[in-house]
Amino acid sequence: MEELKTISDIAQLGGGIAIGFGAIGAGLGIGVATKGLMDAVSRQPEVAGKAFGFFLLGAALAEACALYAFVIAAKLVGLM
Amino acid sequence: MSGHWVHSLIIGGHGYTFNLDTIYTMWFAMAVVLIFAFIATRNLSIIPNKLQAVAESFMLFIWGVLDTMIEKDNRRHVPLVASLFLFILTANLMGQLPLRIIHLKQGELASPTNDLNLTSAMAIIVLVYYVFMGLKKKKFKFFLHELSFTGIISGLVEILEMITRPLSLAIRLFANIFAGEILVTVALGVCAYLLPLPVMLFELLVAFIQATVFMMLTIAYVSSATGDEH
Repeated sequence: MEELKTISDIAQLGGGIAIGFGAIGAGLGIGVATKGLMDAVSRQPEVAGKAFGFFLLGAALAEACALYAFVIAAKLVGLM
Repeated sequence: MSGHWVHSLIIGGHGYTFNLDTIYTMWFAMAVVLIFAFIATRNLSIIPNKLQAVAESFMLFIWGVLDTMIEKDNRRHVPLVASLFLFILTANLMGQLPLRIIHLKQGELASPTNDLNLTSAMAIIVLVYYVFMGLKKKKFKFFLHELSFTGIISGLVEILEMITRPLSLAIRLFANIFAGEILVTVALGVCAYLLPLPVMLFELLVAFIQATVFMMLTIAYVSSATGDEH
């Protein structure tokens, strides 16, 4: 196995770490959003359609946090 | 991903670079929206034809969101909000067209929203709009609600939000589309023809959701700028 020698090697490692930690937060966020959806639907099944729309919005907002990390990772890896 | 098709220009001693692929695809998206609006609003009738029904459903959706988030005098925001929604939706969906097969010297013709410059421009338009609306409604009280310690602190937070809000708006839209395209590229490398399909279907969903999120956040910012204090 090769050693990490140059700055760009270490930057790639940093990109991996960045997207990994970002994904933890987004995963927790989407999990909480899904829990809220399940609670709402099991309590009031008639709001399922409306609640799902709000769930998608909230999940998209939570997912955006992982994508901020993705931008940093892409910068570090050199995709951008 | 192979970068953008960059054109460099020197105007008055300053160097400028233009991402030509973004500009061309943006013009294409604008043309699609304009032609759609022109054709859909011709020959309006009580019994709508198909295109008019589509346009009406878009308008009803936007009116519904506006009614739930801004209490009074909300129809005046329709031009900005509706054009942002339609343009972002068209631009996002363009990334799934086979337009990308056309090989350029460098780069590819994908969604214009995979360029941070375009999304930043739209976010700055939103910033200018909501600050202008807030100043028009509340005059100087938009910055300083009351002359006290908490009032000054919340005014400073308001000024900080003027930076963070457009930043998050721009990066959210850009990163979603950019990550989607990279995801498709990676899936293409793993198992061609089979794996990219569900990813691209998911990207269709993301296109709608991100257009809606951008529009709803714009409305929320305008609402918080013009609404009464709670």
